[in-house]
Amino acid sequence: MRIRKVAIVGAGTMGCSIAENIGEKGFTVFLVDRTDELVEDAKCRVELSLNKRLEKWGITEAEKRVTLSRIRFTSKLDDVTTCDLVIEAVQEDPDVKKKILSDLDKLCHPQTILASNTSTLSITELAAATLRPERVIGLHFLSPVTRVEVVEIVRGLKSSEETFEAVKRFVKSLDKVGVEIHDSPGFVTTRLITPLLNQAMNALMEGVASASDIDTAIRLGFGLPRGPLEMADRMGLDTVLTSMEGLFRDLGDFSYRPCPLLRKLVRAGHLGVKTGQGFFKYDEEGNLIKEEENLVYQGAKG
Amino acid sequence: MEDESVMAKGLVERIGSDDAILTHTPTGRSSVKQVSSILDHTTAIGQVLEMLVHPEHGVIRDISEIRAVGHRVLHGGPTFTQSVLINSEVKDAIRDCIPLGPLHNPANLMGILAAESNIPGVPQVAVFDTAFHQTMPKHAFLYPLPYVLYERHKVRRYGFHGTSHRYIARRAAEALNRPSKGLRLISCHLGNGASVAAIKDGKCIDTSMGLTPLEGLMMGTRSGDIDPAVVFYVMKHENLTIDEMDSLLNKHSGLLGVSGISGDMREIEAAVKSGDERAKVAFDIYEYRIRKYIGAYAVALDGVDAIVFTAGIGENSPFLRQRVCEGLGFLGVTIDPEKNNSRGKEVNITGEDSKVKVLVIPTNEELVIARDTLEIVSAANSGN
Repeated sequence: MRIRKVAIVGAGTMGCSIAENIGEKGFTVFLVDRTDELVEDAKCRVELSLNKRLEKWGITEAEKRVTLSRIRFTSKLDDVTTCDLVIEAVQEDPDVKKKILSDLDKLCHPQTILASNTSTLSITELAAATLRPERVIGLHFLSPVTRVEVVEIVRGLKSSEETFEAVKRFVKSLDKVGVEIHDSPGFVTTRLITPLLNQAMNALMEGVASASDIDTAIRLGFGLPRGPLEMADRMGLDTVLTSMEGLFRDLGDFSYRPCPLLRKLVRAGHLGVKTGQGFFKYDEEGNLIKEEENLVYQGAKG
Repeated sequence: MEDESVMAKGLVERIGSDDAILTHTPTGRSSVKQVSSILDHTTAIGQVLEMLVHPEHGVIRDISEIRAVGHRVLHGGPTFTQSVLINSEVKDAIRDCIPLGPLHNPANLMGILAAESNIPGVPQVAVFDTAFHQTMPKHAFLYPLPYVLYERHKVRRYGFHGTSHRYIARRAAEALNRPSKGLRLISCHLGNGASVAAIKDGKCIDTSMGLTPLEGLMMGTRSGDIDPAVVFYVMKHENLTIDEMDSLLNKHSGLLGVSGISGDMREIEAAVKSGDERAKVAFDIYEYRIRKYIGAYAVALDGVDAIVFTAGIGENSPFLRQRVCEGLGFLGVTIDPEKNNSRGKEVNITGEDSKVKVLVIPTNEELVIARDTLEIVSAANSGN
């Protein structure tokens, strides 16, 4: 089957970003959330993101308008029933995800492929909440979606070959590279990056180096665009904590035991870029405020 | 085809969507616009064929009247020096050129396959936008880079608008009533994309576009020639990705980038006339760079007999032609201001005392494709 009509359920940061990317590549895409206000917010968020890219010459005014015209913002789940592919991007909570997949299973055309954008949960387990586990698959986009070239395509235990192939072709048509993953906690990306983030936090807590020196060392030392602490700030420290706890539970490996400093920041409501403060401080546009480390939480140094 | 008249023109837009648009204009009759779901090129060509035999809007009675199909193909790489009859090796070679023309070659190939599946057995011809420039000598097409990049990745100048420059070369010789042999021409194709070609004895010896259509003249939204180090400098200081930088150079530069108004020369001219400073500097750069290329190519050709203006801006902007020619005094160029005051028509605008002929010739790429197709198919048939 050929995927042409796509829907995203859950218009948070990831949902909006995925919709923007899919719309940009020429597909009609429905972006659904529960209320009209949330949908309105989503529209503003997509527009803001497109404006930022326009300012950086990444797209043109015409391309921005075309992309926006391809995204149908709606609060009615019924609109997605005839889509070829529905990607859920609701919060990273197994119960919430299972509920939405089960609802979609009942609503959608039997041929519709249901995908989850989870970064840590078991696709096999999520698929079990539907009556079509062969048509359920993981499709893990990484943030920022328009810039990151890779997508993890996660086979659940029962995902069919046909489903995998259709989704693989779809990912290719987005000009992205799909990597094939066999369902396992954290897949490859989350599983491998999480211990790095955790160790960076531990190093900071132990006073090994300042936050900006830790980030500079890793960024320049290994050719990454951002250091691990800024990376965590951008992902959202609450999200990082949740996925770390999940991986610690599932894998039982101590490298996933959340750093106490991470817990402390989350409890204080310092969740990273989205609250303007995490390990570093950020302006309203999400740019790092140079040299402004969040010194209150500098561990030994603070 | 005997009298080279156009029976119908048309285009299909938004292939792959549920609201694709097919426009069909039979000559001398009103245009037909049809919006429908056209999901692939095969369906698109199928609908075009239906339109051609349509009882009301059609121009032929039966599909079997179509004897051959000519295709425009963007990039023929170093393989194709002229138009060819399409067979499986040619298709493979067009596929091999996809890395050189990633946006156009895949679509061109789909067009060929779509025509094949709709009217199997009808011969098809590929006309390459790069082919005319394949006569350039090595010192003109090679970049001063490590030689291995040429060997490994075919990095070199190819040039584009070849079909247009070739039409101009032939038509200019006819218009001047001179044989191609010995004729030294500078052809200025100034459209949304723009390139200059130096043509001697009917053959291209140099052209301004390079590996891609980004090099050379300033264009509507493309930068044309810049210091390559600008790329790294800007990427570093603006924190841009390769794709963003590509978009900056191809879509946000040129007339649009400098003026901040538009990439459309008509709007720039209007703004210049109303005194807009940025539009004026944009126009000045545009015009100056054309003159620099004409000067360089006059040297490459060891003199010039005729300068030709063609394509959207070249055919329709007396103001630009006048400004360019005014600055070519050292070559002995003058133009007749009255004759120059013409748009979209073939006209000889050479001044009375000019040492160089100056012509405006509307380009006709479709005619070149049709002529090549007829010639190649006839030759193939007589060979059998």
